Amino acid sequence: MEWKSDWGLRGRMVLTMFLLFALYIVFIAILSQYMGLFGVVVVMGLFSLGQFFFSDRLALYSMGASKVEEDEYPRLHAMVGRLSQQADLPKPTVAVADTRVPNAFATGRSPSNSTVCVTEGLLQTLDEEELEGVLAHELAHVKNRDVMVMTIASFLSTIAFLIVRWGWLFGGGRNRQGGGGMIVAILVSLVVWIVSFVLIRTLSRYREYSADRGGAAITGKPTALASALLTISGRMDRVPKEDLREQSEMNAFFVIPIRSDFVGRIFSTHPPTEKRVERLREMAAEMERR
Amino acid sequence: MGLFDSIRSAFGLSAEADATRDADPEDLFGMSTAYLTMEADLDFVPVGAAALCFSSVDSTDFAAAVDEVETILRAGEEDTGTVFRRHEDDHGYHWVVLEDGDPEDLVTSVHFAADTFVEEGYGSRLLAAAFGFERPRDGARAYWIYSFRRGAYYPFAPTGGHERDNRLEFKLQSVLDGELDVEGDESYWYPLWPDGSDGHPWE
Repeated sequence: MEWKSDWGLRGRMVLTMFLLFALYIVFIAILSQYMGLFGVVVVMGLFSLGQFFFSDRLALYSMGASKVEEDEYPRLHAMVGRLSQQADLPKPTVAVADTRVPNAFATGRSPSNSTVCVTEGLLQTLDEEELEGVLAHELAHVKNRDVMVMTIASFLSTIAFLIVRWGWLFGGGRNRQGGGGMIVAILVSLVVWIVSFVLIRTLSRYREYSADRGGAAITGKPTALASALLTISGRMDRVPKEDLREQSEMNAFFVIPIRSDFVGRIFSTHPPTEKRVERLREMAAEMERR
Repeated sequence: MGLFDSIRSAFGLSAEADATRDADPEDLFGMSTAYLTMEADLDFVPVGAAALCFSSVDSTDFAAAVDEVETILRAGEEDTGTVFRRHEDDHGYHWVVLEDGDPEDLVTSVHFAADTFVEEGYGSRLLAAAFGFERPRDGARAYWIYSFRRGAYYPFAPTGGHERDNRLEFKLQSVLDGELDVEGDESYWYPLWPDGSDGHPWE
């Protein structure tokens, strides 16, 4: 079936990626003028590879989540299985986190090596169709390889950040000229870090919209995901703060990010729930009209 | 995974595109000869039923498409004597269940139903077609599942509860491979557990 593709969204995503990579090319060009890049890149490359390969276990560990077998959660497993079949994905590992905060996330570097995690709170809060909508959203992240895309997109941003943070260590000491170059390198890195931060967050929000559309295409029920988002975000407001702070690190993976007042909209990883719901409703309307 | 697929996934289009990819019902006809091989080489006889599993879309247009499928099957009921019924399972998926002693007729009817979905523009909602077999000497059950997403068949041999007979499945694969387009990657051999303890997947 062909419902209308969101070309505006795709166009903006391509533009964001283009700007990000243009920024990185300039960054590398300037940086290579002033310092021996090699060591930094090798160290950070290893760091990123580690992140790439262990992020799933790290994410699960920090959430207190663990893999669950089919006989423990037969309905959840069956649901993930059917949705994966519909999405043409191998069935991911299923994990459950023992927390009341209703949320879900997907990790893993490739579709054949991914984990979908839901919280106990999510299982208790949502009805069948809503849960299906959220799981399909997470499977869409897996399908779109969002962990990989975001890791690659963040790679040089991480390097820029580390140069800002630790660059003075390399620059100082015996060689005055090198020290001067280092200051320029740090300033350039600072600019790159700030700009790439905003671009990466923008890209992340587009990925969310994309996963919403993908998820709705998998289930065929955009409104079910919309109502799940509303149910979760309604619940999120009533959750105690301590729990929230503990888990704020995990925001990038969540279907609904944890609220924080001081982070402005431009810095948030997820679009506002109202906007996502509105877009899902538009999608439902397109499906009626086709 | 080709370059084009990588680019598609990098731009976040994969999930949407794959969930809306069109199915190819022509592959279903491969089952006509597979029935014979199953009986001749493996002692598995048809259970006289096959079914089509699909997920619904929340729209009036889709409901109309399902009505169209029903109308066509009802017309076929008079021609071939293939009885059909609708069923919604515990997972919220829908089934069109067909019963007929003649496997040829079953294949034709399943194809008819699938083709109608595709023509109405809902090929992407088709999940699987299941053809049931039984071994008379010990009552073992086996199914050939056609995955519309993968465009390939895979064997499924449930043994009661949520257990499956992997050895039998691999045997079915080795005997029928070539005759049917069998899914090579076992991670896509999704079980379709029946709701009850001892029924068919569509029960």
